[in-house]
Amino acid sequence: MLTKLKHLLLKIIDLTALGFLEPIVRLCYGEEPGTQVKKIGQFMMVPVLVFLLFIMVWSAFAPRHKTKSGEVPTPAVTFDSYRSIMTFHGREGDKERAYLATGDAREKWLAEAEARLEELKPLRAEAEAAVEEAEAAHQGALTATYDPALAEYNEARQAAMEESKQRIAKLKVRAEGIAADDSAAKGELLAVYRAHTAQTANAKSDYQKLKQQADAILKAKFPQLAAARARLTRIAEEEQYLKQLVKMLSGGNREARVADGQTKLDALRAQYAGAEGAALFPLAKSINSAESRLARTAESAYAKPWTLPMQIIRSVYCVFVGFFMGSVIAIPIGVLCGLSRTFMAAMTPFIALFKPVSPIVWLPIFLIVIGGFFPDPDKHWFFTTLWNAPLIGWLKINPAFLASAATVAMCSLWATMVNTALGVASVDKDHINVARVLRLGFWPRLFKIVLPSALPLVFAGLRISLGVGWMVLIAAELLASSEGLGKFVWDQFNNGASDSFAKMVVVVFVVGIIGLLLDRIMIVFQRAVSFEGSVATV
Amino acid sequence: MSYFEMIDVCKGYGPPSARHDVLQDVNLSIEKNEFVAVIGFSGSGKSTLISLLAGLESPDSGEVRLAGQIMTEPGPNRGIMFQNYSLLPWLSVFQNIEIAVKRVFPQMPRRERKSYIQKYIDMVSLSGSEWKKPSELSGGMRQRLSLARTLAMQPEVLLLDEPLSALDALTRAVLQDEIIRIWEEDRRTVVMITNDVDEAALMADRIVPLTPGPAATLERNFPVTLDRPRERKTLNFNPEFKKLRNEVSGFMMDLNQEARQLRVESSIRLPDIEPIDLSQVG
Repeated sequence: MLTKLKHLLLKIIDLTALGFLEPIVRLCYGEEPGTQVKKIGQFMMVPVLVFLLFIMVWSAFAPRHKTKSGEVPTPAVTFDSYRSIMTFHGREGDKERAYLATGDAREKWLAEAEARLEELKPLRAEAEAAVEEAEAAHQGALTATYDPALAEYNEARQAAMEESKQRIAKLKVRAEGIAADDSAAKGELLAVYRAHTAQTANAKSDYQKLKQQADAILKAKFPQLAAARARLTRIAEEEQYLKQLVKMLSGGNREARVADGQTKLDALRAQYAGAEGAALFPLAKSINSAESRLARTAESAYAKPWTLPMQIIRSVYCVFVGFFMGSVIAIPIGVLCGLSRTFMAAMTPFIALFKPVSPIVWLPIFLIVIGGFFPDPDKHWFFTTLWNAPLIGWLKINPAFLASAATVAMCSLWATMVNTALGVASVDKDHINVARVLRLGFWPRLFKIVLPSALPLVFAGLRISLGVGWMVLIAAELLASSEGLGKFVWDQFNNGASDSFAKMVVVVFVVGIIGLLLDRIMIVFQRAVSFEGSVATV
Repeated sequence: MSYFEMIDVCKGYGPPSARHDVLQDVNLSIEKNEFVAVIGFSGSGKSTLISLLAGLESPDSGEVRLAGQIMTEPGPNRGIMFQNYSLLPWLSVFQNIEIAVKRVFPQMPRRERKSYIQKYIDMVSLSGSEWKKPSELSGGMRQRLSLARTLAMQPEVLLLDEPLSALDALTRAVLQDEIIRIWEEDRRTVVMITNDVDEAALMADRIVPLTPGPAATLERNFPVTLDRPRERKTLNFNPEFKKLRNEVSGFMMDLNQEARQLRVESSIRLPDIEPIDLSQVG
């Protein structure tokens, strides 16, 4: 039983290419503990240690480089901005749910939110006091260090200027005593003047150093103040969020707005019933518009901004749409290329010509071409259907999304196409002989011999394609302004807030982790279809 | 007219300017239900011979006839068992046989087909490995599977292309016995290619040596008159077996000598030059 479990575990590990877990399983079964411990050290501890080393080096060197967008974020700062991204996501989700909340749940939630707001008031006051205190302390510290430094600088400057003036006065006196034919004295005067300017420059650089020192004191971080300010910002943000939440739960709530509209409509109707003659027409107009407004309100949703997790899902969806489009084109063409040398010869110029073209070139072309199909995308049935579809409606698929997907397809299909052609062309001669002995026709031969035999290479190609597609997508989204990870980076770049830089670094890791997961998924497929040998995992 | 025959078959490869004749004027007549072993050195064109018989290649001249019909392409009536198994690695043992059975007996109902395939799996002692992939089987098991697949097609002629040469000696002996046992059940016509005189003498009714290539041909026949069933253990002491083995081996050795002489004569004569020793010149 236990042995069976072990074999099952080892098989799963092999299939999912998580080879580094193997020694742990074997160690649990007490199999050659020495070897397993060594393997764990080699394949788990070494990577972990190296990664920790990387984090340390990063932490140490990041703050040293100053940029226009602030310091290079350290791992801690990056993690903080990751958390703030997730908080934003959670709060927007709350607001959306609050907008749609009804009945008792709404009342209860409203009470909770208001209670929390009350709770925050003293905290906010406290935080404000702390900031004031820290500012005072900072000011105090500055007077203790900065003021003397500044005074020293001023003094030095004054002294230097005074000296310079005196020297000039002396020179002027000296010049007056020199006759027109005394060329030696003239030369001397010039030399002394030169010495004077050099001296002045030296003095200047000396007192400017003092100025820099003073400025450095002024610019130096005051951790206590920064912490107090951060805390106040956090509280203020939460307060802001709670205020909006309260609004969404009370007057701004959909249910409340519907009830409000209904009351107004009822009043208008009552008025209409009592009115007569010329007064009826404007009332009829009002009732009609109130009715349609009420219907719109009842259908309305919270205008939720895009959050990073939503953008991630949209990006992943987009890469799969593009990958699917690319594969649907690449696999049949690849098969035909593999089967027929003539077809291969016909395709070679296209492959050679289009394969090296950059996604940056394809994207605008696709934007224009796709734009041509949908002159008014907001009203086109294709998009309105997609927007109302369940599950994918919120992704708001638009021409920019399609252009990004098409770019992914165009750039990623080559690996699949070439690998498929290779796989189909290099079917083992023995397998072909089997097909010949069995007198298999074209289609059975294709589906029973050629394709299964080519499948491992096809999947190797698909794996490369998905990796390329994921890289291309981020660039395409950035350029097309299609909501997704690329757009997020671009927005942060243009935003220029204090944490924008850190958020971009967060995206580096998000993109990396998702790319890794996509690759793992493809490895599992690749292993499932390969019949001989193992698949490289890096 | 014999049941299965090759008449004046020639086969060569390469462009006309650098033609390499492999077989020249090969004639072979095989009676129905006869077990013929073709024996030859490596490189003498054995595989070409069996490919021609199977129809995987067509002769440059001459013809291959089965029951009077000229054979131009391969078919399931001549089941061939390849030296390197040629199993489909993505299919299980059962599926490897199924693909052949489905093709040869398309009308067979599902249930019947299942028991039919199982019968052949049992016949080659692969029961229990039905759902294993070829990569999980040993060399001997793979060749058994190849045999089962070939037999399940119920071919009129069984062509064995060095079926056992890739196996170790013990597995080889076991499989030899097994092939003989299965063959004796219905005594189909068999052509077996081998490079082992003992194997040929143990299994076949007739041994046909292939002269060494290039331009190989079939020279002589050595009928094996030993009674069946032949006992492997006692055979080594059988004077008739010894005599046959010596005869065939001697013939083969002579052929080899001749071939070597031929080859020496046809080889390029190197110019008789000596390097100049520069130290002696000055």
